[in-house]
Amino acid sequence: MGHGRCYEMAPDLLAFDDEGYVTIRDGTIDVPAEQVGAAEDAAGTCPEQAIRLIP
Amino acid sequence: VTETASHHETEERDLGGCPVMHQDFAPQQAAGCHWAMADDLRETSPVFFNTFAQGYWVFTRHDAVRDIYKTPELFSSESITPWEPDPIYRFVPTQIDAPDHIKYRRIVNPWFSPRAIDAAEPRMRALCRRLAEDVAATGSCDFVTGFALRFPTEAFLSMAGIDPADADLFVPWVEDFFGGFSGDPAGLEPMAQALAGIREYWVAALAERRADPQPREGDLASHLLHASFDDRPLTDAELLDMLTVLVLAGLDTTRGTLGYLFRHLATHADDRRRLIAEPELIPFAVEEALRLYTIVFGDGRKVTRDAEFHGVQLKQGDMVYALVSGANRDPRAYEHAGEFVVDRKRNHHMGFANGPHRCLGAHLARRELQLAVEEWLRVIPDFHVATDEELSERGGGAMMTLTRLPLAWDVTS
Repeated sequence: MGHGRCYEMAPDLLAFDDEGYVTIRDGTIDVPAEQVGAAEDAAGTCPEQAIRLIP
Repeated sequence: VTETASHHETEERDLGGCPVMHQDFAPQQAAGCHWAMADDLRETSPVFFNTFAQGYWVFTRHDAVRDIYKTPELFSSESITPWEPDPIYRFVPTQIDAPDHIKYRRIVNPWFSPRAIDAAEPRMRALCRRLAEDVAATGSCDFVTGFALRFPTEAFLSMAGIDPADADLFVPWVEDFFGGFSGDPAGLEPMAQALAGIREYWVAALAERRADPQPREGDLASHLLHASFDDRPLTDAELLDMLTVLVLAGLDTTRGTLGYLFRHLATHADDRRRLIAEPELIPFAVEEALRLYTIVFGDGRKVTRDAEFHGVQLKQGDMVYALVSGANRDPRAYEHAGEFVVDRKRNHHMGFANGPHRCLGAHLARRELQLAVEEWLRVIPDFHVATDEELSERGGGAMMTLTRLPLAWDVTS
């Protein structure tokens, strides 16, 4: 079970599974330009500080 | 019964210059005192040694608290109360370390997942609306007993498939349990009796379900009876230890946060009106309440090996206390850390803990808090605290919670 903050902040970018974990783990995704703000919010809200934005 | 003398080594122990304090966190205080104490400790020193009980380390700032949560191999959950390294209860999975911890979590995670909460939301909203409408007509209530205790209790029991009428049994058990959990010696005997009562309840409930060939729909105890751990069924001890902690955690915590959140709304008309005008901000206000009004004063762990950590030398078997309430108000981690910023974004608070033991019920709790604000403000948009007396809160040894919160509002017929 994850905190669920990232997929609440960026629902068009991140999804969750049946246990409440974000579906992308230990992976890298391309963030479309219009989703960069949401991605930054997701990274800044993660209590585990587990999301890193790669410029 | 044999008893060994408790082990006092703090007097001769070299604490490496760490400041020493002697503080019992169990007693009831004036409301808000615990956060003032956490702020004061955090700004005085990043770490203390508290000589209370057998003695334990207190880490006060965001970085150390996060590191304790993120280093479970050094900080065991075998005990989560630093004043009691060997408690009489065993919560599963709360007090289980790797590698078994995640196996237990996998069994209960789906039950409290966002998907499960989404499915339960219409039922929870209807319950919340009924309770708010019932109380709205009266013009006043003690918010703690009239709403904050009733809504999460009935919502949780309904999620777990327990008869809501059994709330009358569980509520006093939960009160008595946390009286002893806090470290108050007078609370130990009532705590033991409450644990016995809860166990007897579940022993009977499990016996009634054991012969079922299939799990009962929406029934948590029945689901656990049919669950597997390493390809074997859960033992009776495991079943009881899991069901007990679920009830204790599910019934007590959301009540505490609801009290502080609604005290804030009662005393901050600007925030209240903003949430009515912009209900999309309610989830942000809930997160801010979880950060600024953190009911978990601190979280305990047991040190697994000698190690240096944030400037002090820990020994195997030492207890540490991660001052979560101090960390969540740490100006090193948050701008305007001491203020309630109703629309705060990027709020990475640790109100639901952090690391592998992060709160199982977080999604349920946050949805309950959001629904409570939505449904209450819909029928009671303006309300105030209806007493000039100082409010008080339960001691930080357990989760803090307002002992009462008298609210009043105008009733138009």
